[in-house]
Amino acid sequence: MSEPGGRWVGAALPLKEDARFVAGRGRFLDDLGRPRLLHAAMLRSPHAHARIVRLDASAAAAMPGVLAVLTGADAAARSGPIRPLIPTTAAVPDYCLAVDRVRYVGEPIAAVAAVDRATAEDALERLRVEYEPLPAVVDPEAAMRAGAPLLYPELGTNVVWHDALTYGDVDGALARADGVLRERFAIQRYASTPLETFGAIAEYDPGTDAFEFWTNDQRPGLTISILAASLGVPQSRVRLHCPDIGGAFGNKRRPAYLLVCALLARATGRPVKWVEDRIENLTALMHACNGVMDVELAYRADGTLLALSVRDVADEGKNLLTPTQHNLIKLGNIANGYRIPAVRYEAWSVLTNKCPSGANRGIGKPFMCFAVERAMTLLARRLGLDPAELRLRNYVTADQMPYTTPTGAEYDSGDYPATLRRALERFDYAGWRAEQARARAAGRLLGIGIATSVEPAGTNLASYELVTGRRAASGSAEAAMVRVEPDGQVRVSLGDPSSGQGYETVVAQIVADELGVTPEAVSVARGFDSATTPWLYLSGNYSNKFSVTDVGAVVGAAARVRAKLLRIAAHRLEIDVGDLELRDGAAVVRGAPDRRLAIAELARTAYADVLGLPPGEDPGLEAHHIHQNPLARPVDADRRVRSQLVFANAAHCCLVEIDPRTGRIALRTYVVVHDCGRELNPLIVEGMVHGSTVHGIGAALLEEFRYDETGQLLTSTFMDYLKPTAADVPTIEVDRLEHPSPVTPLGAKGVGEGGSIPGPAAVANAVEDALAHLGVVVRSLPITPEQVWRWLGGS
Amino acid sequence: MTPAAPAERLRVRLTVNGETVEREVEARRSLADLLRDDLGLTGTHVGCEHGVCGACTVLVDGRSARSCLLLAVQLPGARVTTIEGLTPPGGLSPLQEAFRACHAMQCGFCTPGMIVASTELLAATPAPDEAAIREALAGNLCMCTGYVNIVRAVIRAAAPGGRP
Repeated sequence: MSEPGGRWVGAALPLKEDARFVAGRGRFLDDLGRPRLLHAAMLRSPHAHARIVRLDASAAAAMPGVLAVLTGADAAARSGPIRPLIPTTAAVPDYCLAVDRVRYVGEPIAAVAAVDRATAEDALERLRVEYEPLPAVVDPEAAMRAGAPLLYPELGTNVVWHDALTYGDVDGALARADGVLRERFAIQRYASTPLETFGAIAEYDPGTDAFEFWTNDQRPGLTISILAASLGVPQSRVRLHCPDIGGAFGNKRRPAYLLVCALLARATGRPVKWVEDRIENLTALMHACNGVMDVELAYRADGTLLALSVRDVADEGKNLLTPTQHNLIKLGNIANGYRIPAVRYEAWSVLTNKCPSGANRGIGKPFMCFAVERAMTLLARRLGLDPAELRLRNYVTADQMPYTTPTGAEYDSGDYPATLRRALERFDYAGWRAEQARARAAGRLLGIGIATSVEPAGTNLASYELVTGRRAASGSAEAAMVRVEPDGQVRVSLGDPSSGQGYETVVAQIVADELGVTPEAVSVARGFDSATTPWLYLSGNYSNKFSVTDVGAVVGAAARVRAKLLRIAAHRLEIDVGDLELRDGAAVVRGAPDRRLAIAELARTAYADVLGLPPGEDPGLEAHHIHQNPLARPVDADRRVRSQLVFANAAHCCLVEIDPRTGRIALRTYVVVHDCGRELNPLIVEGMVHGSTVHGIGAALLEEFRYDETGQLLTSTFMDYLKPTAADVPTIEVDRLEHPSPVTPLGAKGVGEGGSIPGPAAVANAVEDALAHLGVVVRSLPITPEQVWRWLGGS
Repeated sequence: MTPAAPAERLRVRLTVNGETVEREVEARRSLADLLRDDLGLTGTHVGCEHGVCGACTVLVDGRSARSCLLLAVQLPGARVTTIEGLTPPGGLSPLQEAFRACHAMQCGFCTPGMIVASTELLAATPAPDEAAIREALAGNLCMCTGYVNIVRAVIRAAAPGGRP
């Protein structure tokens, strides 16, 4: 633990890394080169579903400047299938390029390595492919029906997983309730679309049969294991580096692309670089699952919730790597901060002829929260209750913490009612309600939206046992290394490469407090290097996990170094360890500050004058630590599991004004009150809340990967896949409560997703509130001006 | 005049960050390609290559421009300024300092383009209000910050009299 006198944790310290970013001195994947570098380009399917009848690469291979062409057949001959994270029934062989069948528009079927990118792209036009188009299945419910076109005929179904999990007496509650609200909601495909696209450089050394990668992959631990298995080399001969990563949000992962580069590098004997273009990114990298949810919410007349029953269909596209991920995360967050005694979750995970779905900021929670928070708002309207009041009657309260939900999630701390009350105050809820009535009388359409959520951090992979019936990976953990160098300066590395979370600063703050130095004295390695960074399979930048695993790893490693520094100092000063403390860059005798040994002097002993060490003490000042979050447990006998850990929470209140002539929705005010426990650097925390909330706004109002009935993507550029701009959103006003987590070393909780989870629901609730007098019910997203205009009677 | 073939190499001479640059480049190569690949000025980032995201924004003769949509060979005699040219030797400009002080970024990928666009705004409007800043930066996407701290940074860097 940090000493009470810790000075740096909690400070809004400007970021070290920002100094290089403002000068354009970040080092991103596409900024890197290698000697004799080749460039790759990929040929992608124009069909949503087709058989590859013939692929003739001869003309492309003969082009000047082309060094290699790799087809799906080559890939299947030279590499193994890609190992899924979740080995479901859909564990069919899947290679890095499509072999004999394409299953979504944009699926890569061949790749070219050439002396430059333009030559590689020119060569793609000389690849001759003959396709036999097959019927495509685009809608997940259609894909579930008998007789639907099958992505994998050998599976006999498109349904990867179907199960019903019941916790408590749901049927009894539905039967005895004063009422049951039944509603059907849908969510679209969208993605956080980091501004830097995905990419990789692969290099092969035939002398040692080893591969080296540079990539902005955000989950290196898992990726290394996939690469080694597919390439048939031990993990000890796969080295992977991450440079600065230009945003990730879950999207930055596709081992297949790294494998393509690796196979081209091995074939040519030269390093190969590939950087995704934006159309490839939007068409083929990763979308959040679209889906539909049928909700039944049983209640007493006073609004007390009795049971929640959900039927959830998740459209995975062609996701063979992580199917059911959205389902399991929804299951863990189904209660959304409310006391709901009985829960049923029936889920389908379904393959369709669309882009693979995968991790996207919040994974499934934005839809789960949308469904619950829409249902709560509709229930309040049905009961004639204020939507805030209905929520306040049903929250888990502070004195009930820690609280275990029916599905096994544990809310560790927090005050959900106080969070909403603070948000209502900051928003001036009463004032806007009055203004709304006045505006309505004047023909203006103002709407107020409230939505609240829990925000977990860390993923316990044991939850996949619910799907697979056996445990493979489990728990939630991260690794760190802290080393005092021979000159007394400190170096730290972490198995989680930052993609904008400011680790070089916040980790330096943590270590500075542990070792009694300034953050300037602590250099935190940029990115990741598997040869020098401690890591494990679970390592990476995902699942909001920094606060609940990484911090523990850093604190643990620093504590070991700290203990050793004190032992060395005690020996040198001939004093008891307990009489020493580390501060101001030295080991100092308590009560006698003149008796001190600088850390640089202790480092000299540890590395140079090693005979001066205490008897039995090893030379050196370096420690590794892996922190395992203690909340992670296996699935229990009643199929309860903590699929995620450590719960922050947030309340959003926003005001929209709708232009009755055009249907345009203007967000006028947006207030977020959140509680992520102890804030390690409030500057970072507040920025996360802003950005995450705007992701939620984008999902609510603008963003949609829209497919036509043949599986063609209609929104594959930023001209038609619309992101929020500075002119589209208001200033997000942020306030906070601070209930430290009792289970993380510094009391911090996750903060990256607390905007993206309730944001879509908050905005939807506001739009509906503006139009409720017309009988409008918002059941799907995004809410476009055209939709609003139709609700207003336009045609 | 016969149009050049895409791979035909043409000679172009222009000024980049105050230095005269003369290169033979393929007709199809963009200004961003020239800056990043030939001149090593990797502070200019490429985010969409279709002129929407603004990551590649540079100044051409003092006006902001998408370097992904301009061909290098169409700019003979132009004066191009990149983020490297806006960075004083050995330090940061007041605008850059404001971006850092306000943490007006997270991943840092949009930041050079944002600073270039903000430079243009402040040159024309030394004390812009929030609405003017949001309008001026509407051509630059940031996926991380929700724009709040970027707007704050520009207000901080603006001349006194700028209204929040």
